Amino acid sequence: MRVRLDGVVKRFKAQAVLAGVSLLIEDGEFFTLLGPSGCGKTTTLRIIAGFYDPDEGTVFFDEVPQNGVPPAQRGIGIVFQNYALWPHMTVEGNVAYGLKLKRMPDADVRRRVAAALDQVGLSGLERRTPGQLSGGQQQRVAVARALVLNPRVLLLDEPLSNLDAKVRARLRSEIRRLQQDLRITTIYVTHDQEEAMVLSDRIAVMDAGAILQIGTPVELYEQPASLFVADFVGTSNLLPGDIVASRDGIADVRTAAGIVRGTAAGTLGPGTPVMVAVRPENVRLADSTGLDTTLPGTVALTQYLGSLIRYEVETSGGIVLRVDVDPHRHVRLAPGAPVRVGFSSTSAQVFTKES
Amino acid sequence: MAQEGIRPAIRPPRLHVPGLVWALPVYAFLVIFIVFPLVRLFQDAVTTEGGAFTLAYLRDFLTDGFYHRALLNSLLVAGGTVVGCTLLGFLAAFLLVRYDFPGRRLFSYLTILPIIMPPLVGIMGLVFVLGRAGTVNVLLMDYLGLRRPVNFIYGWHGVLLAMILHYFPLVTLNVTDALSKLDASLEEAAEAMGAVRLRKVRDIVLPLVTPGFISGTTLVFILAFADFATPLVVGVQNLIASQAYLNIVQFVDRRLFKMGIVIGALMALLAILFLLIARRIVTAREYAVLSYRAVERQALRGPARWLAPLFFTVVLLLAFLPYLGVTLAAFGRAWSLTPFPEHWTLQNLDQVIHLTPVFVLNTLRWSLLAVVIILAVGVPLGWVLARTTLPGRGLMDAIVTLVLALPGTAIGIAYIRAFHFPLPWVGVVLTRLWIIMPLVLAVRRMPYTVRATFASLLTVHRSMEESAASVGASGLRIFADITFPVIWRGVLAGALFSLMFALQEAAATILLVLPGWETMTVGIFTYYTSGTFGQAAALGFVLILICATTLFVIYRLIGARMGGLFGSGGG
Repeated sequence: MRVRLDGVVKRFKAQAVLAGVSLLIEDGEFFTLLGPSGCGKTTTLRIIAGFYDPDEGTVFFDEVPQNGVPPAQRGIGIVFQNYALWPHMTVEGNVAYGLKLKRMPDADVRRRVAAALDQVGLSGLERRTPGQLSGGQQQRVAVARALVLNPRVLLLDEPLSNLDAKVRARLRSEIRRLQQDLRITTIYVTHDQEEAMVLSDRIAVMDAGAILQIGTPVELYEQPASLFVADFVGTSNLLPGDIVASRDGIADVRTAAGIVRGTAAGTLGPGTPVMVAVRPENVRLADSTGLDTTLPGTVALTQYLGSLIRYEVETSGGIVLRVDVDPHRHVRLAPGAPVRVGFSSTSAQVFTKES
Repeated sequence: MAQEGIRPAIRPPRLHVPGLVWALPVYAFLVIFIVFPLVRLFQDAVTTEGGAFTLAYLRDFLTDGFYHRALLNSLLVAGGTVVGCTLLGFLAAFLLVRYDFPGRRLFSYLTILPIIMPPLVGIMGLVFVLGRAGTVNVLLMDYLGLRRPVNFIYGWHGVLLAMILHYFPLVTLNVTDALSKLDASLEEAAEAMGAVRLRKVRDIVLPLVTPGFISGTTLVFILAFADFATPLVVGVQNLIASQAYLNIVQFVDRRLFKMGIVIGALMALLAILFLLIARRIVTAREYAVLSYRAVERQALRGPARWLAPLFFTVVLLLAFLPYLGVTLAAFGRAWSLTPFPEHWTLQNLDQVIHLTPVFVLNTLRWSLLAVVIILAVGVPLGWVLARTTLPGRGLMDAIVTLVLALPGTAIGIAYIRAFHFPLPWVGVVLTRLWIIMPLVLAVRRMPYTVRATFASLLTVHRSMEESAASVGASGLRIFADITFPVIWRGVLAGALFSLMFALQEAAATILLVLPGWETMTVGIFTYYTSGTFGQAAALGFVLILICATTLFVIYRLIGARMGGLFGSGGG
């Protein structure tokens, strides 16, 4: 099912929490709303679910307006951040509740519940109560409870944020696989950019009640449209400075570390304050050739992360650049070692401060 | 610990005293002044005057049709009170927690007030307004031409009316507490599946507030079951509590006196039984649910917007009628056969404050002394329960909860039996010493302080104290700088609750009082039963004033977070 939001505005006590959100989610797509807390992502999800009505704008499910339609009649399945399992019911009772409300015959209820629990790998725990389950198991019950009604769209509100790292990683892939198997339109809310990247077909990055950019993980990572996205999605080195000269999408920027060259959208007047963003993996130790910018510095910190080594290199002006290198093709440098770092203009993006 | 690590050479190793040794005096207090009298009471019910074991008294009780009826009546009254309190209390709690309407904040403050009205004063005030020659009946007869007064309160319906109006805030407080702890997503998850309105309330909300509701209603049931003064004032005698009182205060018939003991023991036993049943229900259904987000308050629209304030206004007007009656009677001169007093006077007040101040002075004396005892025993006990793993904690916790439920009459009778003999070793007869008054008050009202201390200590996370220790603060220093500043409000509020209910105590003290020790409640009872209504009302007025002041101070200290102090479910 396609979900479309058209100019959705939501105010709480005269304060706009959503300032005109429009987006289109395709049938079967895994779509993530990503942003820091307070950006309006959960509010957007709750408006899609029908817990809030927008003050302005419209929510469409397959082009049918949903404003005013109560949650139960929208065909949604929802998983809450704290799972919201009913503590006084068993696992089976939780999953079966929605079916019973629909007055489904008992035999069908049992069959559907068993299937749903099997789907999330919880067969055998029917008689337990939520209090007797681990966090990961509770989360699966919540998913089973949301899926058992065959919803047209699955809504997940930070479903993994209360789990520890290992369980989170496993459930992440399970959710993705389940979604692929069922081909169900899924809207996922998270503040964790890594989670968003791993799971999503497309991501909408939100801040302060507005969508800043919608795109595939690759697009967001490689072509962030704004400083906020560049900073929020993945890791970026940020060098503040101002334009020296800019022409044909190439800009020279004076920073505390020296002049650096990057890619800018359009032409910027000299003196414009800007921020240059470079991903750590795009920064090279300057034994390589063909770099537009090289800067002298010293290694301040070495972090061995297994699959990569991350250096923090302090350049002149006190600017610290993070540099990721492959540990297998590199001799490790000790802190204090003098080094030259550099990057190509194509991997350095120049943003004006307000973009 | 940490300070030893820092200066190990300078400080000699401390003598290590096991925690249990510190706790022993507190444990001993509970055993001597709660467990021992109770055991004595039960023992007395099954032994003859000579000390031989007998079931004759029990048989007498069980085969006497009069007591059967009294017991049945008591259970019916308590049950009816619970039903009434549930209806009022639930509606009030739901409206206050879930909806917004004009005057909500004011009502949420006012709703709790009826509990602080001393029961005896409450029923007396109600008689002044709704009695045969009370304000309402006089108005009805004068202006509507009614020939005979309407019987508003004499009889069973009056007992129920007075009790429901007095006790429903206990249900409101507990349900409010439980409701506000519910996480919004639990209900939204149900809504998303199509469980709306009543269906959602039935399937999700009610089961989850059941523990809070049960602890509130258990207390109401036990209190209504044990209240002997209210029925006596409106002329109802064949209740079990009233019989216990009447049998004990008469000293003519030994058999009746013994029957009073048997009833006292039975009442204590039933209270324990009710408490155990409630515990079972509550623990089986109590869920630790972390609330992330409270349910949003909905603004009421349409007629409901005005019906809600109307409901509160009517209920509270009824609940506040006694205050009106007591005030009128306290300041009225020769008030009879007119809706309101025609002449006003300060004479009654002068009488009870100035000419015979003994009642007021005694009440203050006993209650303040009781609070001193409570602080000395209850605060350490709260500490033991919250912060230690000493053996016997569970038992002490159970005893404290039990005290909250034990009828005052039963405790009074138990004290009469237990301390009417020279104590071993010391040889004194406690019931002849005035210290028995503050003692019994302290025992009766200690649970509020223990619970408040316990709850306050839970808010001081251990890591706060540990981080103070890690920078070198000593044990006492940690308490003074970290723990005390966080808990003192809560502890003080608990102590003031203890004080307030000590001031109002009318059951145990009436049984133990000797000439010269009379408290205000005793004075009210004596004045009222001897027909000196003006002075009874004046005493009541002063008592209300003191209690209201105490409550005001509590409010300033801790706001409206007092639900937890009134449950019977423990914790």
